[in-house]
Parts: sequence; C-alpha cells; structure tokens
Amino acid sequence: MNTQYVGEHLGPGQLGHFFVILFFVAALFSTFSYFRATQSTQQDNLSNPWIRLARTGFVIHAMAIIGIFGTLYYIIANHLFEYNYAWEHSSRALPMKYLLSCFWEGQQGSFMLWAFWHSILGLIVMFTSKQLESRVMTIISMVQVILATMLLGFYFGDHIKIGSTPFLLLRDAMQNAPVFQQANYMSFIKDGNGLNPLLQNYWMVIHPPVLFLGFASTLIPFSYTIAALWKGEYQTWIRDTRIWSLFSGAALGTGIMMGGAWAYESLTFGGYWAWDPVENASLVPWIIGVAALHTLIIFKATKRALPTTLLLYILTYFFVWYSTFLTRTGVLGNTSVHAFTGEGKSLYWHLIVVMGIVLLLSFGLLIARWKKLPRMQVEEATNSREFWMFIGSVVLLLSALQISISTSIPVWSPLAKWISGKEIAPPVDPIHHYNSIQVWVAIIIGLLSAAVLYLKFKTSDTSLFWKRIAVLSSIALVVSIAIGVLEKINVIQYAILLFVSVFAIFANLYYAFSIQKKIKKMGAAISHLGLALTLLGVLLSSFKKEVISFNTLGVTMDFGKKTAAENVKESRENVLLFRNTPVIMGDYLVSYEGDSTSPSDPRTFFKVQYERRDSATGQLKESFTLYPDAFVNPKGQEGLIANPSSRHYLHKDIFTFVTQVLDPTKKTDTTAYKSYTLKKGDSVFLANGFVVFTDFEDAVYAQENGNISVKAKLNVFDLKGKAGEMKPMYSIENNREQFFKEDTLKSMGLYARFVRILPDQNAVEIQIKQTNPKDDYIVLKALLFPFINVVWLGIIVMVAGFILSMLNRITQKEKQPKGIS
Amino acid sequence: MKRTHIVILVLVAVAVCVIVSMFGDFSTYETFSSAAKEPGKQYHVIGFLEKDKTMEYDPVKDPNHFSFYVKDKAGEVSKVIFNGAKPTDIEKSEQIVMTGYIDNGTFKCSKIQMKCPSKYKKDQVALGNAG
Repeated sequence: MNTQYVGEHLGPGQLGHFFVILFFVAALFSTFSYFRATQSTQQDNLSNPWIRLARTGFVIHAMAIIGIFGTLYYIIANHLFEYNYAWEHSSRALPMKYLLSCFWEGQQGSFMLWAFWHSILGLIVMFTSKQLESRVMTIISMVQVILATMLLGFYFGDHIKIGSTPFLLLRDAMQNAPVFQQANYMSFIKDGNGLNPLLQNYWMVIHPPVLFLGFASTLIPFSYTIAALWKGEYQTWIRDTRIWSLFSGAALGTGIMMGGAWAYESLTFGGYWAWDPVENASLVPWIIGVAALHTLIIFKATKRALPTTLLLYILTYFFVWYSTFLTRTGVLGNTSVHAFTGEGKSLYWHLIVVMGIVLLLSFGLLIARWKKLPRMQVEEATNSREFWMFIGSVVLLLSALQISISTSIPVWSPLAKWISGKEIAPPVDPIHHYNSIQVWVAIIIGLLSAAVLYLKFKTSDTSLFWKRIAVLSSIALVVSIAIGVLEKINVIQYAILLFVSVFAIFANLYYAFSIQKKIKKMGAAISHLGLALTLLGVLLSSFKKEVISFNTLGVTMDFGKKTAAENVKESRENVLLFRNTPVIMGDYLVSYEGDSTSPSDPRTFFKVQYERRDSATGQLKESFTLYPDAFVNPKGQEGLIANPSSRHYLHKDIFTFVTQVLDPTKKTDTTAYKSYTLKKGDSVFLANGFVVFTDFEDAVYAQENGNISVKAKLNVFDLKGKAGEMKPMYSIENNREQFFKEDTLKSMGLYARFVRILPDQNAVEIQIKQTNPKDDYIVLKALLFPFINVVWLGIIVMVAGFILSMLNRITQKEKQPKGIS
Repeated sequence: MKRTHIVILVLVAVAVCVIVSMFGDFSTYETFSSAAKEPGKQYHVIGFLEKDKTMEYDPVKDPNHFSFYVKDKAGEVSKVIFNGAKPTDIEKSEQIVMTGYIDNGTFKCSKIQMKCPSKYKKDQVALGNAG
C-alpha cells in the first residue's frame, strides 16, 4: 500500500542516510588507498598519490560521521518522532542536558560514538605516524568500514539484515501497528517514549563518551601491532605504541572509574563495583592492555618478550569486541543488572563475524611471523626488573582470563550442559566469587608494582634492593598493623592485602621522591602509587562497609540455615520509616519528614533527617538532611526507580536510598478535625507534642464596616522544643459571611482552623487535625562507606601517572630523534 | 627450559587449578523439585509469576518480606518468599530468575531478576536484590 503520509519531515533522514553511506564508502576508499600505498615502494608520504587519496578519503569519512551526529542531534532536539530513534529514546519533557544521553542509550548511537572517536584518533595518527602511516591507517580505516556496516541497515532478501540505521522511520520500525495505516498518523504521535530514568543523570552524559574513547583508543596500539607484524619491523613501532598504550590506559581507566562513580551515585546496588558483566567487560581489556604496556617496556629495554607483547595487544583489542558482543547482544540475558537492548540475531552474527575477522587477521599474521620473531637466547637474571615485570604481566593476563571465563558463563554453559548435563548458572554470590580469587592477584600485583621499581633492567644490586625493601616493609608492617587493629581487619587475605597496599604506597612514594626526583620521570611510580591507594581504598571501603538500616521491626523469618545465614543478614537491610517517627540507625537518629516534588523535575524527593547526639549528655553533635529521590510510577510502570543521596565526609560516606514508598495514589487521610475551645495560654496535646494558643494577631486587612479579620497565633512544640507556629485566620465580612483560612505545619503533619470567636467565654474555637503518621511512610536502606574517597583518589592518581608518562614519552622525542627506520 | 618458562608453567598450572576449583562456586539452574532434593543449598530457579495467586507485601508489618507464587519451567507451582522489598514491576515480569533455597516446601530467595516485556524494549532486565 502506498500511502502519502502527512506531517513527516523526511529531509533529515535522507541526509542522515546519505552521511551513513558516505561514511561507509569513504572509509572503504581510504582502506583501499592506504592498502595500495603500502604496496608502493615510495617512502616519502606526500609524493605518494595513494597516500594523498587515502588521506582525503579518511578526512571525508570523519566529516561524514560528524554529519551523522549532527543530523541525529537535530532529529532528537527537534522532537521529530517520525524517527524511531527520537521516539524510542527521547521525549518532549526531557531536559536539554540529557539529549546527549539519548545517543548513548541506543545501540546505533554507541557504535556512532565509537566510530567518532576512531576517526578523531585516526586523524591524529595520520599526522604523527610517519613511515608507519600507510599500514597503521589501513587497519584503522578497515575497522571503520566494519563499524559503518553496523549502521547501514541494509536488507539482503527478507532475513539477512546488515546493521541497523539510526534514521529508521517509526512507521518502518513498526510496520504492523494499525496507526500507520492512516496518512495523518503523525498527529497521533505527540510524544516519544522517553529516556530510561536510570540514564537521566549527569554521569550518563559524560561517562559513555569517555568510556568509548577508552575502547576506541585500544584500536591504535592494535593497529601499530599489526603494522609491525605486517612488515616484520619491530623497532619503529615501539615509541608510538607506548604513547598510545599509555593514553589508552588513562582513557579506559577514567571511563571505568566514571562508571563506578555513576553506579555509586545513582544506582542502588550499594557500591561502585559489583563485578557486573558490563563492568567486567570494560575491566578485562584494560587489564590486558596494562599487561601489554609492561611487556612492551621490557621489549624496549631488553629486546625480550616481543611475542608476548604482540599477543597481549591483539588480545586487548579482541576483548574489546568480545565485550561488545557480551553486552550488546543480550547473550548475558539473565545475569546482569544492566538493561540490554537486544538487536536480535543480526547483530549477534555481525559481531561474531567481526570477532572472527579480528582473530583471523591478527593470529594469522602472528603465526606467519612467529618463527622469525627476534628472541634473546640468553636467560634473564632473576634479580632483573624484566623478569618480575614479565611475571606481573602474566598474572594480569591470567586474572583477566579468570574474570572473563566467569563472566562468560552464559556463553559456554550450553557446552558444559552438553558435557556434564548440568545447566551452569553464575555464582550465587558473584562478589564473593570474584573477590576471593582476585584478592590474591591484587596482592601479587601490589607487591610487584612497588618492588620491581627497585630492580634495574638486566641486573641489579641485590643487597641494596633487600636493604631498601626491608626498611620499607618494616615501616609498612607497623603502619598496617595499626590500621588493621583500628579497623578490625581480621581475615588473613585482606590483612595481607592491607600490608601490601601500605607497603606499595610507601615504596612508590620513596622511589618517586628520593630516587627519581625529576617529576617528568615519576609516571610509573605515580601510577603504581595510585594503584596502591586504590587497593587500600577498595579494601577499607568494602571490608568495612556497614549497613546501618537494620530492620528491627516486624516478624523475623526462620532462616536457620547455616549456609544462607550470611544472606539473611545481608538482606534484612530495609527499614520502614513512618513519617516523623525517628528510628535509630547506627549512631544516628533518622526520621522521614515528608516528600516534595517540583513541576520542573519528574522526581519525588524524600526528606530524611539524620541526627547524632552525644550518648552521655544527649547534646546534638550533628544534624543533616539527605534527599534521596525516586521516579515514582514513571511512565508506563508501577513502582519506583530510586536514586541515592549521600552525606560525604572526608573519611566516610553515609549512603541512603529509598526502596519502597507508599503509592501516592493510595495515600489516605484517616483522621478528622477535632474542635477545641481555647483561652489564651491554653494548650492542646498531640501524640508527639502540644500546641499553645498564645495570642491574637491582627490580620493585614483593616477592620471597617463590620469586617473583621483576625489570626490566632499557635505555637507548636514537639518533644525537643519549639517546632514551629501556625496562624490560622478567621474573618467576617459585612457582619455576615464567615471565612476561615487554615494553616499547616507540615513537619508535624498538623492542620489548624480558626472557626469561631466566643466573646462571652473570652475564648476561641480552634479545630486541629494531625495526620496519622502511619498514613505516610518510606522504606529505605542506609549504608556507611568508610574511606570511599581513597578509592577515587587512587584512581585519579593512577590516571595522572599514565598521563605523566605519556607526556614524558611525547616530549622525549624532540630531544633524541631516532635515526633508525 | 628457561626460568621464565618454568614460572609461566607454574602460574598457568595455578590458574588452571583456580579455574577448576571455581566450578564449585558456580551455581546451577534447577527446578523446584530438583532444588528440593537438597534443601538449604542455594540454586538458581527460572520461573514465571503466577499472577492469579496472591502476592503479599506489607512494609508496615515487615519491609523485608515479600511472598508470591511462581510456576517453574517444569510446571510446578511453589510459594516463594523474598526477604527484601517488593521489586518494582514484578507484575509485568515475563520471566523471573530467583536465587535461593528450598525450606519447608517454600523457596526462600535473596535475589530476583526479572525480564520485563516492555512494549518498546525487547529485553529489559530489571533486578530486585534482597535488601
């Protein structure tokens, strides 16, 4: 049926399609031209016509990507809901600042972002890679071609679909919906589906771009690796690869940290790291990339470890695609807290093909060159830096593999079922599972990261080494015992980790400031210091994480089982707070004081008051209010999506979020007004305080022509003292009509009306109502995170170390240009 | 053999041992009846919410007690007690993955994961974690 639709804006979509195809064609052209350039014997880049063509192609492809971005942004910002992407991921009510988050929410947007960073990094590589340009850029352009296919949305026959375009029209996305039978369907589609409330957070505006920059950056060392294997040249490749590898470590590290910060600040799984598959997926390439960086340094210094280095860079990049496969295809299904938008079969096979290409190309080359890779025949000494650095890298790789194997359970469980007949499920307690293994990795790596710096390449002065280590470890032992006793760290492996991280902090500080001295050279020591701080922070914050919202109300379930006892403890962590009824949590007296909403924000804020008093004197020591918020009954759903609110201290955080609220539509008012006849100074007693009628107050209106308007001043006291005052008003107009205006005191749930003056008794009649606090409640959970700031500080220091090393390597070149080719 | 090779072999051997021992950590997907064979041991059970039967959650009585009925993949219906707050949108869940154990004929779970058929999102996974 050919309907002429009314009210559509087809222009932007057609422009967008054009850009997608331009992106694909230009990238393909660039790949081909760069490939031809590699075949040519001409070394000088600019006189090689293929290079010039290829560069033009690459620049055009980068502009096409920016064009796609701009077009899609136009569509989203102008609420053109005839496009599926805008309709699915945005709505009119969405604040401007979250428009960018709409990009990342969808599948195509993430691929686009990824391609965008590739193109930017590719442009930098284009102008810096010198004689390696043609080979490195062939690989980068080829990957861009692959990414472009993800956005094509071409059909071959009815069943084979290549990619999916972000410019799909809504009516094509849902062909069967009857509304699209009507030519004027646009007049029915007033608003979009909206952005997932979980993503309406400032972290979601900045976290995905940084994370994808990190993912994209792994392509560059990989491309250099392939370029090196291609010609069998393993010297020209080191410098740039090292710089890009450091950049990648910094970018991906920052991305992972921001993910943790987002989880901590706006998700409610109570922490910054939960070993969730999506988190693991970004951690695994980072770990392998760091291992690769270290073996590359070994190769630079000693000409050893080349095969391992090449292998590690290839694996780093492969795991980026594997992570995409795990997190984008829904193959993890039941095992992650993250929502996956399944693109179905087509993306699944598409990514398998891509992984196949990456593996085939890189391992094919590696195997072909394997025999001829330069190797050292002499063994390294056990007191050399390279020996222990190499071991550290192997440990990192094994650690990454363990994380990956456990994360991939749903991928390999069909195989396990075929062998053993059992359907393997993820560990019951994944955090414990990963922690119990990775704590040993952390111990080894922490130890090596500090001690190895005291060794020299090739051979070291062993007695000096042991002298320094002995002094440093005795200091560390004293300090860590002090911390361990103070913080009651009583599990052996965590006690060891505590010692190791304290030792590493001291050792790296000493190395940086007493041995290296020059700030330019401190990169390694600083990033290792950051690692040590991170380990210490993770240890203290998670080992001493404390739930303060233990439930003391209600019935206790019989969970007598020994194995599950821990779980029970873990899970009785929700506390019911009736409005204005304080409950003791840890050192605090906590009360819920009501909720509030504002027209400009779809969230409901819950006011939760924390008070800490001196146990002996009862004196108030501190008092603060937290406003955990939640989307209550968000569009199309019942229930709530909560965001936590935290009180930050230098040494701890108090972390609070709402897990259940009374459905606002079901709130009832079970109380009625009661009348009281009051003289001046009389009081009315309430459940949790009293009200005193102190005096009259003249209202703003003048008394004339029988118009009287007067207020009663009511002072309200609760158990702690004066809680506020109310001034209900009473007025008579023209000697006849009576009015009264009630006043409320929300914090006490009080309502007062001034209904009559009784001149003969010299009294007034006041009606007072106090809402039953049981009519309003929230269920919340509160956690105490000690030393969370040490975690953030550690990661920031580590990233700073990466950047410092990178800058040092970039500037070094000017001083000593290399003559070798 | 070189020293590094020996060390790598040792490390790999350790890693293999760790990975093999990891299998003890892994849980399995069971049905109510197969989970009942070992009461108290934690399993994953996949099932579907029985929407006709009563769901009980009264935070005023106990904010950590939510009970409902689930039909597992073998078709058996069992009462489930979740010791946490009632997860958002469980009524709309298409499939539920529960982690817990059988005790006195009821399945007591500490973790719920739901797949919700959103009209627009094909696979939306929501999670209710105990506590």
